[in-house]
Amino acid sequence: MSVPTVNELKSHAISIINSDKETFIDAAKTVYEIPETGFNEIKTSKFIDGQLRGLEFSVQTGIAKTGLKATITGKDSGPTVAVIAELDALNVPMHLGADTETGAAHACGHHAQIGILLGVAAALRGAFIKNSLSGKVVLIATPAEEFIEIQERLNLRKNSEIEFLSGKQEMIRLGTFDDVDMAMMVHTAVGSGTPMLNIGGTSNAHVSHQVRYIGKSSHAGGAPDQGINALQAAIFANSAINTQRETFREMDVARVHGIISRGGVAVNAVPDDILYEGRVRAKSLNALDHVSKKVIRCYKAGALSVGGSAEILEIAGYHPLRQDRNIQEIFVSNARSILGKESIKVLPKTYSQGGSTDMGDLSCIMPVIHPYTISASGVGHGADYIIEDYDRAVIAPAKVVAATVIDLLGNGASAAKKVIDGYSATYSRDNYVALQRAKFRIETYNSTFR
Amino acid sequence: MATQVTLKNNFITATNSRAGEIERITRDILTHPESGYKEVRTSQIVDEWFRANGLAVKNGIAKTGLVGVLDTGVPGPHVAVIGELDSLVVPDHKHADAKTGAAHACGHHAQIGAMLTVANGLIKDDVKHALVGKISFMAVPAEEYIELEFRELLRESGEIEFFGGKQEFIRLGLFDDVDIAMLTHTGTDSFGTFGIHGSSNGMIGKTIQYIGKASHAGGSPHLGVNALNSALLGLSGIHAQRDTFRDSDTVRVHPIITKGGASVNSVPSDVHLETYARASNIPAILSTAEKIDRALRAGALATGAQVRIITNPGYLPTKYDRSLTEIYRHNAASLVGDDNVIPRNHGTGCSDIGDVSHIIPTIQPTVNAATGEGHGVDYVVTNYELAVLKSGKAMGMTIIDLLADHGRLGTRVATSFNAPMTINSYLARMRAFRSDITYET
Repeated sequence: MSVPTVNELKSHAISIINSDKETFIDAAKTVYEIPETGFNEIKTSKFIDGQLRGLEFSVQTGIAKTGLKATITGKDSGPTVAVIAELDALNVPMHLGADTETGAAHACGHHAQIGILLGVAAALRGAFIKNSLSGKVVLIATPAEEFIEIQERLNLRKNSEIEFLSGKQEMIRLGTFDDVDMAMMVHTAVGSGTPMLNIGGTSNAHVSHQVRYIGKSSHAGGAPDQGINALQAAIFANSAINTQRETFREMDVARVHGIISRGGVAVNAVPDDILYEGRVRAKSLNALDHVSKKVIRCYKAGALSVGGSAEILEIAGYHPLRQDRNIQEIFVSNARSILGKESIKVLPKTYSQGGSTDMGDLSCIMPVIHPYTISASGVGHGADYIIEDYDRAVIAPAKVVAATVIDLLGNGASAAKKVIDGYSATYSRDNYVALQRAKFRIETYNSTFR
Repeated sequence: MATQVTLKNNFITATNSRAGEIERITRDILTHPESGYKEVRTSQIVDEWFRANGLAVKNGIAKTGLVGVLDTGVPGPHVAVIGELDSLVVPDHKHADAKTGAAHACGHHAQIGAMLTVANGLIKDDVKHALVGKISFMAVPAEEYIELEFRELLRESGEIEFFGGKQEFIRLGLFDDVDIAMLTHTGTDSFGTFGIHGSSNGMIGKTIQYIGKASHAGGSPHLGVNALNSALLGLSGIHAQRDTFRDSDTVRVHPIITKGGASVNSVPSDVHLETYARASNIPAILSTAEKIDRALRAGALATGAQVRIITNPGYLPTKYDRSLTEIYRHNAASLVGDDNVIPRNHGTGCSDIGDVSHIIPTIQPTVNAATGEGHGVDYVVTNYELAVLKSGKAMGMTIIDLLADHGRLGTRVATSFNAPMTINSYLARMRAFRSDITYET
């Protein structure tokens, strides 16, 4: 029997995805129906485990609480390519698909990624294809990409169930990516028409702040003069941060946004314990540091203004995303040949919309791509974010990802080796872990001591 | 010896005879308003009148102040009748000076009229010779605590130390041998009445400078430090403290921005504020001031600016002497009837008469002869007979009670007064209020 060409392998993979497309779309829709937030994706994880076992995979489960990993081994040794899907939902109680009890909802389309992952798994697992690949394909479902529910995750951290607050960060720490050389995933985006996909660009780095304002409670009607109003401190800080916005440079794509997650317990008591959760994002770590310093100054000013104190906890967030040129080129060429010449748009390398992803962290230690499939309507993270076209959200990207993997690991994996050779890591895994660890800092600002 | 009734009748006859002349002087001052430490013309008018009427004049006190002394030649209590020379700055006031915006929106011109009325009645031989002691007619500058930056300059050049004229008079020794003080202020309560008793807030004053960093507001705002934003945050911080002010302390904090930026396309780097911390008692003034400073510093910390806070002694809360008030009440009632001499509540404004009231027995009754809002564009004295003539009569008759009969009542008022402060302890307390601190962030 002659060795199949890469094009024959791709055609075979595409035909499997086409013939079983309803299965993958149904899987995505099933996950949509069971939205679970990060590190809580128990049902979702179990569902995927079942699906992968149905495809005769042996699955490693419970990585970073809910993560999964399964492997397709090629005919001989070579690089390992990871295909990633994110398990978690957001918390958007007003969303159409929200869990009425928890408020969790797939308002960021991660469920579509599960469909893609299963499509790629089904397409590549057969002997015809895997026996033509050199190296391995690992399918990884990662928990907790959305950097939310910080207080809950800090509790997990306290109980040593996790150390870092996102799934990929944890998996890097745990060594899940130690045998992986490069990774890819496809995220949904809002829009329709042409192009169907986009790739390129970067994402913002971020840092998370948990600011606890401590005042002094007293009867808000009877003895307000005896109290120190911690809510006023937080509101002052929020206003102060807003005055700093004019000092943010457009080129830094700075984003600063906070929520008051504990804003007082009884309206007739002067609030003495307020939790302000802040997030600072910027396109580079330098800019992030610069903006974050200003924001921290504002937190302190809030405490000073009322004569209270602030406990400021800094939590290591995400790194900017760098997408690998070589994998990107292969992905683009596959998109063009499978979906049409105009099906994909390449964004400028420095383009950032302001969001952040822990794929950014992974991109610091290995080559990755993070393209988007334009298939949703509404506003990202909004109550109206809905996948409109599952063919575009699940099936089309599954085909392009499968073909890209075949290009990388076919022909003796020469393309994957070229990717590895062309990549220079920002950090080793150990350096990355040490850096993230050092970013956890707590500072207490007590205005009465000054 | 003439009875006090006869003396008062002689006094009243004298005041009536020149009421028209004094009203003309009063209205002339109304139409030539001058704000504190700038009352050159007003001072000149009073000086000329004192001299023309045989009073011994000492002028140039605290820049524009002067005293005309009527000495009976017989030892006895020394009473001061005070008239305030200064106007406010209310540019939209009906009688505002077109150039300076100064306006008598607080009726001080009527005080000068009332003071001259008293002098005019008491200088008559048939009155004066029945009295003992001395009467000082004090025309005092700068009661309104305004134009702080201007006064800060006067302070720096050594022309004044305190911002209030009476404070300066105390510092310069004008009250050293004075036993009793009085002045009558116009008011807008129940028209036609006199108000007595009550009390008023004290205060300290602050001039604040935020120092940021200028840069092109369009081209490079990231290189600037916005002093205006610092100031606005500081003000918000102050407002957030309002629920910690106790009702019983009647706290008032009301800042203004006297310089808010130089040009709109440059990040403001030099912003100036003025504020008071007013309250009914000194501890509350101090705790309010601490809250203000804290909030102002937070404004600077938030943006990375510096803030310089200069705190100046303001005025002390006013307490009126009860026995002196009683003598006054009796005389005022003889002019307008018992029912028209009414007790006042605590007032939340401030005056440097409060400072005087900490040293000697003092009254500052109100003559309700004006309409409009105090310090507003529509504050006008509408009844000069009441504001000037009757006010003067009530004070003059009170002085007759104090200084006739060998000054028996005056001596009793003076000796029964339990002074909260001596002049020396007063000056030390006021100087301790002063601070000038720059907070770096």
